[in-house]
Order: sequence, then C-alpha cells, then structure tokens
Amino acid sequence: MSNTNHNIESPKEKQNRHKAMEAIKLLNTLREDFKEPIESMEYFYDLFERVHCKHESLHDDKTKIGTMCIQIPSEIIYALDGVPIRLCNGFYTDDEIGSDLMPQKACPLIKATVGHFASGNFTDKPDIVFSPTTCDQKTKAGTTIESFGYKLIDVDFPRTKESEASREYWRRSVKQFAVELSKFQGKKLTKTNLRNAIKKIGYAQSLYHKLSEFRKNDIIPILGMDVFLVTNAFFFDKIDNWIEATEKLLSELEIRAKEKITVTGKASPRIIYTGSPPIFPNYKIPQIIEESDGIIVADETCSSNRMFNDMVAVDEWNIYDMMDSISDKYLKACTCPIFTKNEDRIRRVVQLAREYKADGVIYQAFAGCTVYEMEQRSVLEAMEKEGIPILYLESDYSPSQGGQLSTRVEAFIESLKTRRRNKK
Amino acid sequence: MKNKIKNFINNGDLRKVRFWIQLISFILFVYGGYWAINLGSSFPVFACPYNGHAGATCYLISLQHQLSMPAKVLFSPAFISILIGLVTFIAWFMILNKAWCGYMCPFGTLQDWITSLRRKMGVRFSTYTQRQFEELSKIKYLFLIIALLFPILIGTGALSNNWSAPFCQMCPARVISPMFSGDFSQWRIDFSSKTNMILTALGVSFASLFFVGSFVKKRFFCFFCPMSALHYIFANTSIVKFRKDGNRCTRCGDCYAVCDMQIKDIADDVTSNNILRDDCILCLKCVAACPEDDALHFDILNIKAFSSTRQGFEKRMNLEQ
Repeated sequence: MSNTNHNIESPKEKQNRHKAMEAIKLLNTLREDFKEPIESMEYFYDLFERVHCKHESLHDDKTKIGTMCIQIPSEIIYALDGVPIRLCNGFYTDDEIGSDLMPQKACPLIKATVGHFASGNFTDKPDIVFSPTTCDQKTKAGTTIESFGYKLIDVDFPRTKESEASREYWRRSVKQFAVELSKFQGKKLTKTNLRNAIKKIGYAQSLYHKLSEFRKNDIIPILGMDVFLVTNAFFFDKIDNWIEATEKLLSELEIRAKEKITVTGKASPRIIYTGSPPIFPNYKIPQIIEESDGIIVADETCSSNRMFNDMVAVDEWNIYDMMDSISDKYLKACTCPIFTKNEDRIRRVVQLAREYKADGVIYQAFAGCTVYEMEQRSVLEAMEKEGIPILYLESDYSPSQGGQLSTRVEAFIESLKTRRRNKK
Repeated sequence: MKNKIKNFINNGDLRKVRFWIQLISFILFVYGGYWAINLGSSFPVFACPYNGHAGATCYLISLQHQLSMPAKVLFSPAFISILIGLVTFIAWFMILNKAWCGYMCPFGTLQDWITSLRRKMGVRFSTYTQRQFEELSKIKYLFLIIALLFPILIGTGALSNNWSAPFCQMCPARVISPMFSGDFSQWRIDFSSKTNMILTALGVSFASLFFVGSFVKKRFFCFFCPMSALHYIFANTSIVKFRKDGNRCTRCGDCYAVCDMQIKDIADDVTSNNILRDDCILCLKCVAACPEDDALHFDILNIKAFSSTRQGFEKRMNLEQ
C-alpha cells in the first residue's frame, strides 16, 4: 500500500553488512567490556572500523602486493615501492562464501581467504598476489584464486628446513620473487632501497619487542587481544602510521606500568597462546580466555609473534647478502607446523613459557588445519615433560560454538588457579 | 653499577673495539722489535720471526725446530725445552683461546684490512658451498701433521735437513711478514735442493694466493691455518669459553650471515653448550649480531663477559629512530 522504496540488497552489500557486523561486535567488546581500556588503542579500533565497517581504502596511490603467508618478505616489497597486504582472512562471512568453493573439511582460514577473493570485494584490492607453497591447502588454493582472474605467482617454499639444500632452494626462490616483483613494479632493487626497507621493518619489529617486554611484567598493562589487534593491523596498515600509533601505545604503556594499572584480575593465570592464527575478527578463543579471567602474555602464532620475532642482520650491506639473510630468517626461524620436524616450535613455546612466566599454554587448531592438528600430540607430550599445563582446543569461525569452548577454557583456567594456590 | 657496566659492554660497537685492539697488537707483534720488545717465541699467532722486528714470535717455528732435534736429544733432559715451549704456548693460549685469531694475530688482522679494502671498493665477498667448506676445512689438519711429523722424521734421520721447519717454508706469513719491515727477500724460491725448491715455491705461491684469496674471501687463510687446528686441540684448557644457549636460539641465521668463517653450527646447532668450532676465530661478530638475549655469550672464568642482547643488536643495527 505504501510507496516505501524496497531496495533488494546485492550480495556485495550483504557481505559488507555482515562483515561490518562481525567487526564492530568485536571492536565494541574490546572498547567496552574490559577494565582499564587503553586510550591509544583507539587508533587501532578505529583503523579496523574504517576498513571493515566503512570500507575505506588505505592505499589508493600505491601498488598493492597481496601475500598469502608470512614467508613473503615485506622488506623486498617495501624496497620495491609496493605495499604488502596479507590476505589471510578471519571473517565468518567470507568463510561461508568460500565453503561453496572448497572441500567441506578445509580450514576456515583458507575458506575465508578464497571466499574473499571469490567475492572480489576488497577495500584495497591486490594488484598481484604471491603465494608461498606452505601448507597443502594454501598451495592448492592458489590455483582456485587464479581462476577468479587474479594475477597470482607461486613462490616455491621447502617443507624441510634442516638441510643445506632447502636453504639454497629458498634463497633462490626469494631471489626469483624479487625478480618477478621488480619486473611487475618496473623498479630495481638497490642496496639503498633494500637497506632502508630492512631498517624500517626492523624498527617496527623492535617496537613489537618493546611491547612484549611489558607483558613479561607481573602487572600486565595490556590485553592479549589488543596485542593481536596491533599485530593484525600490520597486515595492511600504512607502515608509518602503524609505527607512530605503536610508539604512542608504548608511551602510554610506560605510564600504565609506572602507575601499576593492570587489565587483569588479582590472580589471572598467564597464558601462552599457540596454534592456528587468530586473525581479525576471529578472536574467538582469545576472547574466551580473557573473558574467563585468563591473560594472554605471549603467543606463538603466525599472525603475531612469528611475524615480528626475528630480525635481519648482515655483515656487509651488499644486495645479495641482505637477500640471503632475509631468506634465511623466513625459512630457518619459521616455526610453522608445515615443516617435517617441529622441535623449533616446541623449543619456542617452552622458552616463551619461561620468559613470560606462564601458568599454562592454550593450543588452538582450526578444524581442518591438518598440520596444527597433527602437531598437537607432540607438543602436548613435550609440555607434559616440561610440566607446563596445556589445553588443546579445536575451533572454527562459526559464531555458534561458544558455550562448549568457554566451559573448557574456564575449567582449564580454574585448574591453573588451583595449581598456583597449591604451589604456594 | 654491575648492570651498567654490563649494558655498556653489551651495547658496545664491537667493530670499533676490534679495530683498535687489532691495530695495537699488529704494531706490537710486527714492529715490537724496534722498541726492543721481545715477548718470546711461543705465541699462538702468526707473528713471523723471519720479520726481524717482530715483538714476539709464532710457536709453530720453535715447535718444528724442537721436534727436529736428533731423536736422542728428544729423549734426554733437553726434552724439557720442548715442554717449556709447549707449556708457555698453552699458558698464552689459555688467556684468550681462539680470540688470538680474531683479535691478536697480525696475519688475521692483515686479512681483515684487505677485506675492508674490498668492502670500500664495493666488491662483494665470495663464499664456499657447504661441500667445499667441509672438504677444505680438513686442510689445516694436514698442514699441522706436516708441521709435526716431518720434523720428527728429520730427528730420526729418515729425512734430510732440507725438510727443517717444512711448514714455515710453505707458510705465506714467512713471505709476507718481513715485507712490513721493508724486507722483500723472502719472495724467492730456494734452489739449493729439490725439497727446498718445492717447499719455497709453494710458499711463494701461497703468499700470492693469500692476497687474491683474502681479497675475495673473508679470512681466507685462517681456514687453512695449522695454528688454528693446534688451538682447537687445546681449546678446553682455556679460561675463555664460547657458549650458546640453544633454548633461546630461533635459528634466524643472523650469526651465520655475519660469520667470516661460514660456521653453520653457530646458527643450526641448538644442543651444544660449547659452540666453539675448529674454524672459529672468536671475533665475536656473531654475538654482536644475535638479537636474542644471552643466546650467545663469551665467558671469561665462567662470567659472561660479552653477551648477545636485543638492545645491543638494535643499537648496532641502527634501528633506533
């Protein structure tokens, strides 16, 4: 009867609306649900809101270089005047789109990434995508993504890292990657631009390390979720803005540390988070942990610690030496479970537990992330040997699982509290 | 106060410190004779006595001379002189371990200077492949065997005196060191006998190779140095230790990237506590390039004298803005 204009929502609009809902729900939780919110975190909340709710693009003026994993050296991308955009995706909306294109048991991260590409709905659409051949699913997803009409180049990545052959192989791959990108950009890699890029990334890494130092304290001034947000922002933010915002965050944390302002409860157990990466807005497990009075003090994941931990050093600033040192860092220091052996990862988790005086470890694997699921046993055994309590969880991107997971996490955290009391 | 000193050392600019120590010890070892400095002849460095003004001299030459004494003498009280030589050598060695190579050896320093010349010319250094490394790394032991065995054979009469100090005859330091006091006379082949001819010809060719080699490869000669092999045999006697805490290592490879000797274990071995390897020259560049707190440390009397720290790394890499 009335003349109301009925607009039928397009699939793209629907996708945007759903993703905005996912994003704002998490951001509002972070803004409002925890005690002592950090003022300078607002930059990051706002950044995610701008990109995911208001669909602002950040890099109109630059070539956007999509990367499918952390092994693509951002040093080289920055040196060649591109902006690295890491396309690992954490949206359930995109996961659902991708489900139609991927096997039912595929990992949600891959499904979401493929779904995102399938929709073609980007705020900063990558001009070219580099896909390192890491896990099976990412490796194979490359061809699917290519079939949507994207320019995608595989970067050969070895699955063992102990042998000299694998080192040489990866060094060659990285050189090849630099050649391809240099051709694409029409720009030459030089001593100066590569050195500057290494320094810039190195500085960003040093900020991350300073941030981590605060989490070693007895009084912890920042939530693990907030740190994940900061590190996730590095996936796509303008690096100079990120640096500035992180510097501000650090100076605020300095004050908070002095004034003994904490985000935790009186006896919140300190948790190391390891496993499949929390990627915005899929902070399901970290949120459950920190809402159950746990506090994540450190992590061993590729969306955070692994991305920042290792810095490049060279003896002489020759282009090939920089390239070799960069390559070695991305291969040898990587603790991804795709490798045949995982001693390095176990050592890292144990070392983090010691350094950050952790009470326990929470190991999360995405259902369908075969490599993390497979490594679970050996990590659990190793932690048992070390006497570090560990909880293994399987989850996905669906919003419906919450109840069961939080029961298990709450029980684990309670047991850690009891354990600590008994120790005293 | 203790922490302040520690931070000062760990944040220091190793390159500068090394440059000055090397310069001073070079002057001492090569020109010490001008000030009548004579510290003896049992030094664990290549300070060659063929250079008439050396302030102290290399142990290998005295060792070879002592070993080539007639067998009878070897088993007489005169043996004591050999023992004293050896004890003095070990005593010197105990103080610094292989840091003699990285900081004191004039022949090593010379190679570092050639390296900085290359660096200034913008030429890239070359490296060995892992296989070449493994094969070539054995040569120093071969030289050591020559230096020890042949003199003994002279003593027993199995070899003629032409073989005296066989390693020195081949040694590039014999040819090159005297040049620093203006003596170029060692650049010749001794035609007095076939043996001498071959050995000195090798010496001259090794000396030429030394200049070419150390221009393209960092610490080219140290790789083949029998003194380095001898050091390694006594490495455990030293009060100085080079240690690694594998738990803190992430295998990022920064140490390996800066290693002049291409020692792979420094990055890859996460189980050995003692990380000193036979090729190591204890220059400690790896410690300076390691971003993990205390993962690598240089200990004197079990006290950490120089440790890797993240702060130090950031300072040296100029990461502060």
